[in-house]
Amino acid sequence: MNVRVIKAVAFKEWKETTRDRLFLLLAFLLPVLWLVVFGYGLNLDVEEIPFAVVDRDHSALSRDYLYRFMQSRYFSFRGYAEDERALDRLLTETKIRAAIVVPQRFEEQLAAGQPVTVQTLLDGTFPLHTDIAKGYVIAINQVFTEERLIDFLRQTRGLTEEQASRLVRPLKVEVRYLYNEEVRSTWSMVPALVMFTLMLASPLLTALGVVREKETGSIYNIYSSTVSRAEFLAGKLLPYIAISIVNICVLWVLAVGLFHVPFKGSFVFFFLASVVFILCTTGIGLLISLLVQTQMAALIITMVVAMIPTILFSGLLVPVSSLTRGAKVQAHLYPAMYYTTIVRGSFLKGVGAGVLWIDLLALVVFATAMGGMTYHLFTKRPKT
Amino acid sequence: MTAPQRAARWGRRLAALTWKEVLQLSRDLPLLLFLLYSFSLSVLVSGAGITMQLHNAELLVHDADHSRSSRELIHRFQPPYFTLKGEIADARQGLRELDEGRAMMLLDIPPRFHEALMGGEGTAVQVLVDTTNAPQGLSAAGYTVRIAGAFGTDMGLASVGLSGTKATVPVIESAHRVWFNPNQDETWYQSISHVLRMITLFGVLLPASALVREKERGTVEQLLVSPVTPFQIMWSKVLAMSAVILIVTGLAVYGVLRPVFHVPMKGSALLYFLLTALHTFTTAGLGLVAATLARNQAQVGMMALFFVGPMLLLSGITAPFESMPRWVQTIMTMSPLRYYIDITYGVMLKGAGMDVLWKSVGAMVLLGGGLFAFGMWRFRRQFE
Repeated sequence: MNVRVIKAVAFKEWKETTRDRLFLLLAFLLPVLWLVVFGYGLNLDVEEIPFAVVDRDHSALSRDYLYRFMQSRYFSFRGYAEDERALDRLLTETKIRAAIVVPQRFEEQLAAGQPVTVQTLLDGTFPLHTDIAKGYVIAINQVFTEERLIDFLRQTRGLTEEQASRLVRPLKVEVRYLYNEEVRSTWSMVPALVMFTLMLASPLLTALGVVREKETGSIYNIYSSTVSRAEFLAGKLLPYIAISIVNICVLWVLAVGLFHVPFKGSFVFFFLASVVFILCTTGIGLLISLLVQTQMAALIITMVVAMIPTILFSGLLVPVSSLTRGAKVQAHLYPAMYYTTIVRGSFLKGVGAGVLWIDLLALVVFATAMGGMTYHLFTKRPKT
Repeated sequence: MTAPQRAARWGRRLAALTWKEVLQLSRDLPLLLFLLYSFSLSVLVSGAGITMQLHNAELLVHDADHSRSSRELIHRFQPPYFTLKGEIADARQGLRELDEGRAMMLLDIPPRFHEALMGGEGTAVQVLVDTTNAPQGLSAAGYTVRIAGAFGTDMGLASVGLSGTKATVPVIESAHRVWFNPNQDETWYQSISHVLRMITLFGVLLPASALVREKERGTVEQLLVSPVTPFQIMWSKVLAMSAVILIVTGLAVYGVLRPVFHVPMKGSALLYFLLTALHTFTTAGLGLVAATLARNQAQVGMMALFFVGPMLLLSGITAPFESMPRWVQTIMTMSPLRYYIDITYGVMLKGAGMDVLWKSVGAMVLLGGGLFAFGMWRFRRQFE
């Protein structure tokens, strides 16, 4: 490995990149804009579920009951419906995602101390959201039930308000949210988004590097030159690693400065791990570049390989613990998951190398494997 | 030459160009294999691999009471939501386990729990939740509060002899009916949304890349001096790529979704594929606009990534569209995927027809038409 040769190759690559103004602009702009758009725009909480109501009772109590739903920020009232047939139509048209049917004699039965069944219709297209909506309904019902019970005990047993309420609610639950004390979605999202942007943008930088030269034929200059394989590959990677390192710093500044996500860990460790991660991601791009013959194939394969596993298996949206075995294996074979743990750990938990060394080790192994594979696959003596 | 002859010649030329695109794609073996993989095996893995609903949250218990009541409460935390990870002797050890990510929650039951509950003086349990992943953490906390609340009410009522039969107390019982996916089978949602992602990714990238390829290599100049119009050049790419995407979508639907996951096709399959064609045309329009703005593959890749990322995350497959901020909803009216989601779930799961979907279809037609018109205008201006 000759440093001067690497420098020459890198310099040529750098010139080529910087002369493509639009590409250079996008390479720096994309991470920034994405972090801002997703940081402010991606809301994973299930809120404002559109719902409609069939009120068969038309009593003061049923109105009071339904008012709880209309007041809740989790639901957004879309009007009364005549009967269940109308609800059916609204659900099919996706005008509503939930519907509540209050039965006849709702007030009468409750006043008489009898249980009442309230029917909820839910759109099951997105099972997770359905589940969460179901939870909201149960919670509202529970509070309403407790109030009814307190009234009931006061009337039938002659208890005071306080006695009755202590009887109905004897158990308090004190919830403490760890690592993200205010449970703000942005706090847990933004660090993961740093991973997401780096994971998606950096392979694309290198993906076309080798295949472009193959397509235009300029690779033959390399084949016939004294540049060795390792020198060529290292030179190809360096400029894009430099761009990505700038992006790491910019993303960190945005996360801390703009989104006010606390950074509790060690910056040196975070930076080091990020650089290793960049080696993995740019390595993925380079590997694909070597495996295919056309830029079109390189572009499309890189985008899909970078995007799909990152959305699904990186812990960004779904924790790895809720993956089934096949998907879990895939998650462990891919660098994004380890880096998500490192970013979240460094930002929110404030843990360092003591806990995260294993994830860093996994990234190092991945980067080394990428390096070895690209070195092995690149040959200066092509068969055809 | 008469008008019909001219039309026939026009059609033949378009067909010849289209066939050229198909041939060119079919000779790119890595890309072809990857395309097949993305619509078959990949759908299988991600369809079966993810359960987003709170699933097996690992629960640690610190029980300082060891009474009938405390055991009864612990017993109410059941799979599939919770798995009991075991009991620990002191709370600090639990905190350490949470730190290292070996459990998600810690339930801390105080001494004299049973006594306080029965004696009517009231008590409290503490719950520590790892909310590094905010949505799941909140969901787990929500379940815990509900479970403990219901447990408390039951115990309170039992202590005044109102136990067991609830027929004598005024409570609201929640009855849920989930429509369109009664078992809340998450594989339906996951596999369908994976196909949606793939169609969108390939729908943008294939035609965009195919057009830029001609521009980059200069072969588009040859095409423009041949007796074909710019319109034919653009349309041939769109037709070829849409046809390919329709075929692999067919593969995904009849090779994976129906036989493996038993996803229903309640509506008309013909309508579904027609509207899928409309979606690929519209996304192709997006790709072509990017292609007319870019000069090489690297630029078009960056540009495509720039808007495909937000499209995939903000259109309503990964997070509920209703709870997105208003400005995101406004921007996403430009995303064809937003309409295609309603169409796909509508036709497959809800059995919706044109009478229900006309609004989404109309919006997509307008959007696609606009994008094509803009792309054509840019393309002509560049070459004439």
